[in-house]
Amino acid sequence: MPHKIILVKDTGAVENKGVDFNTMLANQLRDSGAAEKASIVPVADIGVYDKGLVLRILPDNVTYSNVREADIKKIIEQTVLAGKIIEELSHDGRDKQLRIVLKNCGLVDPDSIDDYIRAGGYQGLRKALLELKSQDKVIEELKKSGLRGRGGAGFPTWMKWSTAKNQKTDQKYMICNGDEGDPGAYMDRSVLEGDPHAVVEGMIIAGYAIGASKGYLYIRAEYPLAVKRIEKALEDAREYGLLGENILESGFTYEMEIRLGAGAFVCGEETALIASVEGKRGTPKPRPPFPAVKGLWDKPSIINNVETLAAVPQILSNGGDWLAKIGTATSKGTKVFAITGKIKNSGLVEVPMGITLREIVFEVAGGLLNPEKKIKAVQTGGPSGGVIPKDFLDTPVDYENLGKLGSIMGSGGMIVIDETDCMVDLAKFYLGFCVDESCGKCAPCRIGGYQMLQLLNKISNGEGELADLDKLKRIAYAMQKASLCGLGQTAANPVLSTLKYFEDEYKAHIVNKKCPAGKCKYLLMYKIGEDKCKRCGVCVKNCPTQAISGNREKGFTIDQVKCIKCGNCTEVCKFEAVAKE
Amino acid sequence: MKKISVETMDSMKKEGVDTSKNWIKVGMSTCGIAAGADVVYATLLDEAKKRNIEVVIKKCGCAGKCFAEPLVEVNVEGLPRVTYGKVTAEVAVTILERHVRNKKLVKDYIFF
Repeated sequence: MPHKIILVKDTGAVENKGVDFNTMLANQLRDSGAAEKASIVPVADIGVYDKGLVLRILPDNVTYSNVREADIKKIIEQTVLAGKIIEELSHDGRDKQLRIVLKNCGLVDPDSIDDYIRAGGYQGLRKALLELKSQDKVIEELKKSGLRGRGGAGFPTWMKWSTAKNQKTDQKYMICNGDEGDPGAYMDRSVLEGDPHAVVEGMIIAGYAIGASKGYLYIRAEYPLAVKRIEKALEDAREYGLLGENILESGFTYEMEIRLGAGAFVCGEETALIASVEGKRGTPKPRPPFPAVKGLWDKPSIINNVETLAAVPQILSNGGDWLAKIGTATSKGTKVFAITGKIKNSGLVEVPMGITLREIVFEVAGGLLNPEKKIKAVQTGGPSGGVIPKDFLDTPVDYENLGKLGSIMGSGGMIVIDETDCMVDLAKFYLGFCVDESCGKCAPCRIGGYQMLQLLNKISNGEGELADLDKLKRIAYAMQKASLCGLGQTAANPVLSTLKYFEDEYKAHIVNKKCPAGKCKYLLMYKIGEDKCKRCGVCVKNCPTQAISGNREKGFTIDQVKCIKCGNCTEVCKFEAVAKE
Repeated sequence: MKKISVETMDSMKKEGVDTSKNWIKVGMSTCGIAAGADVVYATLLDEAKKRNIEVVIKKCGCAGKCFAEPLVEVNVEGLPRVTYGKVTAEVAVTILERHVRNKKLVKDYIFF
């Protein structure tokens, strides 16, 4: 019988305090004469949360959750000694994640083209060039798969490609949009760094499908490692004859070049990106004509997001129907989210469309950072998106559902907000970002954004009036209707969606002059509670502006004029005597 | 390097990515490097050579568990494949000695 290994994750839920679980388990193992047959290894994390004490037994790879003291004997007798699985304890270990775009991330060496080919890479390209041998058939596979743009808007990829394919001209261009700028989102970076060849292969297939002979990879200069790995990938692909003249002896010739973005958020917008590739200042142009008709150097051009392109090779090699089986009726496949904020396990998750936000937050990402706090909302789509309050956490995630809730799928940023976060502050942050990044070409975005930011500042400084809320809405609608590009049209979304779901919070700032979450510092007051204060004087020593006066006999008070609301006194007080009001 | 043929691609695909029995992979994307993966990677290469431990050491992309970086995945014959998280240079040496050489899992650093 093989030697068993028992992985134990003590989640702090053991009854019978005093003796720790590992000792108990070790003793029982010895008593049942199984000490030689199994070893115990405590682990840092096991991927199962809020399920009490969790054990995993290898090599059976069975996971038991909510294990109690009384169960130990049974586990040893049945699983360790007899190799049987105890159904009632076993945890449904089905991983909610499904890795398609991230399939090779963490598996292959990104600098090695051999690794990528060993993992089944460049088979999609081979199928497109040597088996399908037709642009229409490649686009047909994309149509079957139902793949939609992963950059945010969710436009069907095949439709874009087919428009460009049908243009009759001597030259067409393919562009990869790697200008990822949403705060807290880094899906594209991870794909470019972890699996650069998937993007390269996707670009070649896309170039073939639309009839382009030249491709540009537009990557922001802030991603030096991604640029380095893509450069190496292009070089290797060229040497193997997978890029350049007569690819795989099919007669198809295609070249690719990298263009670096200079860190302007607006260059993620396709017409501004095109201007930037041309070497001009990155400002958007009115559409139509769409880039698929008249784009880079006035030639038909297709711009796809990194994640979209990384999904293309597998759609070709596995067939379009394969992807169409995953997801919901209108949104197919998977989406990568960069989940951050007040969450335990921040990182990248790739989930099938149709999963609920609750599953993502509480099962895939391990729940809130501080489990004692309550979740307030989830922000998706970055500065162009909105907040989804906790009442809607059970909504299945797809393009349509998120749109209905006043947010967007976006490129995949997901920020978890708990009750200590102020919604006015959040709206202010995102709007401030868009105001900074506005290119200034059109008035609604340039002036509207600034005016809205002034109003939000006024509210969070405690000088707001109720009429300001209507003003905010009016400017927001004007921006949505009249702005030239997506940046301005969506910049007001965070304000509108917080206003829609958390109007009470805005009103608390305006009417009661209070910030319920305790974030807006002009609406706060620090006070020392007489009853709790032990008169130790630690707060006095830590106050940077000498705002705390008094002595050990009479007690201490805070001078509200001198106080800069840094919160140092609350943090250093061991008796929780300094309260925020 | 020469142009690759379709046949070579097929035979490579059949062999799969991990051709050796004993290997270590270090997550070396920006998130990993920011947490110190480059030091861990260099230590592994260096110490494996010094201590004469035969194991293939590779770098790979981000596996998504950014909260636990640097991540080190270890596959040694006879033991289940595990991923260690929050690995430091010291832990890396322990992994080489205890896991790779003595075939015992290292406590407290296994993440999944």
